[in-house]
Amino acid sequence: MKALKKIFVILLATVMTISLAACKKDNESQKESDTSKSDSTGSINITDSEDNSNASVDPFGAYENEITVTMGRQTLQNPKLPEGDTYEDNAYTRWVKNELNIKIVDEFEANGDDYDRQVSLAISSGDLPDIMKVTSLDELKELYENDLIEDLTDAYNTYATDYLKEVYDSYGGRALSNVTFDGKIMALPGTNTDSGPSIVWIRGDWMEQLGITIDEDGDKCITIDELEKVVKKFMEKNPGNAENVVGMAFAPWLTSGDPDGTYSINSIAYAMGVFPKTWMLVDGKVVYGSITEENKEVLRKVAGWFKEGLVDPQLGTRTWDDITALLVNGQTGVTFGTWHIPDWLLNNVRAMDPKATFDAYAIKDANGKVNVKHNDATAGYIVVRKGFEYPEAAIKIANLFYDKLVNTSNLAEEYPEVANYQALGVDGSTRPFNIEINSYTSLLDDYRDIVRCVNGEITLDEVRTTESKSIVQNVKNYTADPDNCEVVDWSKYHSRLKGVKLIQSLTDSNTFEWLTPIFPQTTSTMETNWANLEKLEEETFIKIATGALDVDEGFDQFVSDWNSLGGEQIISEIEEQINN
Amino acid sequence: MKKGKRLRLITTKTIYHLMMLPGMFFVILFNYVPMVGIIMAFQDFVPAKGLFGSKFVGLKHFIYMFKLPDIAKVVRNTVVIALGKIVIGTFLAIAFAILLNEIHNKFFKKIVQTVVYLPHFLSWVVLASVVVNMFNLDGSVNKILFAIGLNKINFLGSNKAFQSLIIGTDVWKEFGYNSIVYLAAITSIDPGLHEAAAIDGASWWKRVWHVTIPGMMPIILLMGAMSLTGILSAGFDQIYNLYSPLVYETGDVLDTYVYRIGLVGRQYSFGSAVGLVRSLVGMILLLTANWLTKKLTDRKIF
Repeated sequence: MKALKKIFVILLATVMTISLAACKKDNESQKESDTSKSDSTGSINITDSEDNSNASVDPFGAYENEITVTMGRQTLQNPKLPEGDTYEDNAYTRWVKNELNIKIVDEFEANGDDYDRQVSLAISSGDLPDIMKVTSLDELKELYENDLIEDLTDAYNTYATDYLKEVYDSYGGRALSNVTFDGKIMALPGTNTDSGPSIVWIRGDWMEQLGITIDEDGDKCITIDELEKVVKKFMEKNPGNAENVVGMAFAPWLTSGDPDGTYSINSIAYAMGVFPKTWMLVDGKVVYGSITEENKEVLRKVAGWFKEGLVDPQLGTRTWDDITALLVNGQTGVTFGTWHIPDWLLNNVRAMDPKATFDAYAIKDANGKVNVKHNDATAGYIVVRKGFEYPEAAIKIANLFYDKLVNTSNLAEEYPEVANYQALGVDGSTRPFNIEINSYTSLLDDYRDIVRCVNGEITLDEVRTTESKSIVQNVKNYTADPDNCEVVDWSKYHSRLKGVKLIQSLTDSNTFEWLTPIFPQTTSTMETNWANLEKLEEETFIKIATGALDVDEGFDQFVSDWNSLGGEQIISEIEEQINN
Repeated sequence: MKKGKRLRLITTKTIYHLMMLPGMFFVILFNYVPMVGIIMAFQDFVPAKGLFGSKFVGLKHFIYMFKLPDIAKVVRNTVVIALGKIVIGTFLAIAFAILLNEIHNKFFKKIVQTVVYLPHFLSWVVLASVVVNMFNLDGSVNKILFAIGLNKINFLGSNKAFQSLIIGTDVWKEFGYNSIVYLAAITSIDPGLHEAAAIDGASWWKRVWHVTIPGMMPIILLMGAMSLTGILSAGFDQIYNLYSPLVYETGDVLDTYVYRIGLVGRQYSFGSAVGLVRSLVGMILLLTANWLTKKLTDRKIF
């Protein structure tokens, strides 16, 4: 029976791998990691195992004998790694080897959604890597309930550095409570600072060229009418000399649950007082933002634009990459997204057109306020396989990257290879853990450091994080020669001195109107019906926006369908959750 | 059959039967052993607990499946698209095989064959981007429509056009390759029959109608019946790469629906339940087709 089960699991895994065309590493390296895993266990049995596991409580202490840790890694399409380096073997993993004597072997690597499938696969086969990232709380809960992951409470309390603990504490307990089950810390959570609003990014060079003026009071907030005006002008004058000019392009899902959702209509919805895909408490009642009456007006607005031609005529079939291509080809010069898209999306525009610049604006509501909501405190979770001999290895690696790396003032001298990665702008996903652990106020703290250093108010040594230090240099490079500097200088300048600057100035002027949403756990009806409700929402909204459905009729039908297909039930379940 | 003859047959064929063993082993290993997984459909399967430790829940997942609000629409889309592909695809493949058979210049024939077989070997992941580029609003098809004074159509986003696009592109991709088997059927027809018909004064059309097609009939029936088993799978990779929320109404098929609801949400038991229903329907259709052909033409497929 046992053999049969094993065969079945292997078959299931094989079939799923093939059918999903996931990019599993080839068999050879798989075998290699298997043998090295058993090797390390073997060698530990022979040598005095106490030496290795009970080494003195040093948060940065190296293991006496090399240990091998197999990992599941979430990767990025283009991490900008130097030639010859890989996710498995790069400056960061070599640093871990040198500092902690831990050899990292990747059991699987995958991009974005594919990664979630790989994790599913690993959970299905019961064959987890020693340490991996899971992306959702639901997955974490499933792992805990099935007793597949190690309790990290002791390891965290013993090994986490004070700085790391402080960072988590800056969320007022919200970060760790998300990963605490029955009083046990089951994962190392990635923190999720507030990301601010979805910013309107407008081609600054085109505005100058066409002499368009908006935002006359200079508060960087524009009205929806001003947005319309810019789009119309761009379409009329075609400053990008493109073949097919497109107004505003949005992703097929239109709205996003993240306040800063890139390529979404969030900034427009928020300005009209609607928080799509958001659970909130209004007068003690649980409300789902997408089904509010005001959302109908948002969709009416977008549908009107679509009819007028101000919105991409191929809305709904245009994929994420297609929209990026529109920007790169100069077919559109207005887009919507989070503060850091200059680092990874808009940089493509600049790579094509050295003259391209973007200006960042927020859209204000009728009262002159910019609506935005708080994020959940955590995103991404590092878990350790049940039975792994060195659970503290996860904490030590975290200490290294989220304390030492950040707080070493002379990184360039002590760890030149690591410092070089930061200077090159190698993506953070190449670190062993693809999560961020930053204090709650880190975004604006870092921004102020950068600005003060660029202005000469503080010295480079006083700048708190290593990343900020290299950004100071990027900003200086950009200001010295905007047209001929490297793309990375352009990116960092735009993301910080335009994107984050906007968030800072709106914070200073008290223009933000913050909503604190609720983050319910997945309820039983959600488990069975949510995927379907999500489908209903996306399908209806895109049809309304493209005019395939009448706004009033379509939206009212949607709301009643949504309620009867489980929505109402879910709301009452969440209310129960909150009241308990 | 006489007893002695039968015995001799077995002994002379023994060696061949032995040669079949490895193949049989793989069939059992890969086609029968995994069927144990069917019990997942009747459980709340939890990977960590395994196949024999998970809780049995009876028909829960089947009931849930038939209660899903969109299931009727999704099944209808699936059947319409799959039937469209089978009917039009088979018809075109037969017609193409008959026409190709009339080409006597060997060199030209080979070129034509290569050209029409080629798309079969391309993956939909690749072809989808070709299709998208041809049929989107800025694509060549719409440029032609515009040039001859017609309105542009967003084929990929229009519920009126999407099913035709899916069927059309799939037929285009596969008809050449499918015609191989029909071409073989034509060449196996006794040329004497054709000659006799020609001497009796039958025109080309008449010969095709009364000689070629009846001669191909067993193969046509076989292929038709076999393809019926696939009536509930309308081609996941093609549709997944071409559809969007805009065309869920006409383009969402069982595979894509189950994929979004089941697999991404890791509902294995639900996924197996749907797979089981699909296999059952396929089997029933195959048996019915077999029974029908026997009744109508006195020929059996198996």
